[in-house]
Amino acid sequence: MNWIKTQFQKELWSPYVAGVLLGIVGVLAVWLSDSLLGASGAFENLAGLVGKAIAPKLFDNLYFNFIMPPGITWGVILLVGVFFGGTVGALTSRTAKIRTMDDAQWKRIFGPQVWKRWLLLFVGAIILQYGAGIAGGCTSGLAISGGMLLAPAAFLFMAGMFASGILVALIVYRRRY
Amino acid sequence: MANNIIALFLGAAFGFSLNKAGLTRYNKIVNVFRFTDLSVLKFMMTALVVAMSGLYALRGLGLITFPRIPETYIVGNLVGGLIFGVGMALAGY
Repeated sequence: MNWIKTQFQKELWSPYVAGVLLGIVGVLAVWLSDSLLGASGAFENLAGLVGKAIAPKLFDNLYFNFIMPPGITWGVILLVGVFFGGTVGALTSRTAKIRTMDDAQWKRIFGPQVWKRWLLLFVGAIILQYGAGIAGGCTSGLAISGGMLLAPAAFLFMAGMFASGILVALIVYRRRY
Repeated sequence: MANNIIALFLGAAFGFSLNKAGLTRYNKIVNVFRFTDLSVLKFMMTALVVAMSGLYALRGLGLITFPRIPETYIVGNLVGGLIFGVGMALAGY
């Protein structure tokens, strides 16, 4: 019992152990709900819901009517769970705090201004979501969930993701790479 | 309803594993692209191997059928992945 408690209080687990947990979750998702884990799809469902309420004309297109119909889907509920699970993880290791994304590594490279971090994060997130929309999923929805079904799409996506990620990191970090 | 409760619990386990693997941090995500910390890769590949063997074993036993497999459009997946990687390296999440 004590051993379990210490494990829960650890801030970081071995990625292999955490990976096994995610693998089991992936299997259970298919087994119990016949669904795949995904985050970007749920985001688009929500975006569609908001968009149709604010600007119905703009959102009345093929993508939001048929490919990603808006609504509170299984994936949206999953996202709510992800939020709580992450909170539980941070609370058990006593690392939960409200912060302004003042990552030490970021500051060393780009300087101490937080607004720069926020701006780049915002731009990066838009690019990321756009890419996920084109590919048909994100890291969890396509790379992991598709990969576990051995979908070729997942492996193409992973190849693209790492190729450009490495390149951009190389450009951003230049000599400090 | 039962399905939603399952989603909530699975999501919680998902978020918990992400947090404990440290993937909620900027440096973990970016450093995988710099080859200085391969946690992301270890995490993803372990999850893949476990889920893959679990799913194919369960299907072999006839306990589950696979859901709709993500479609393959070679250009779409690859270009989407390339754009996604740019965002991921910039945002770090």
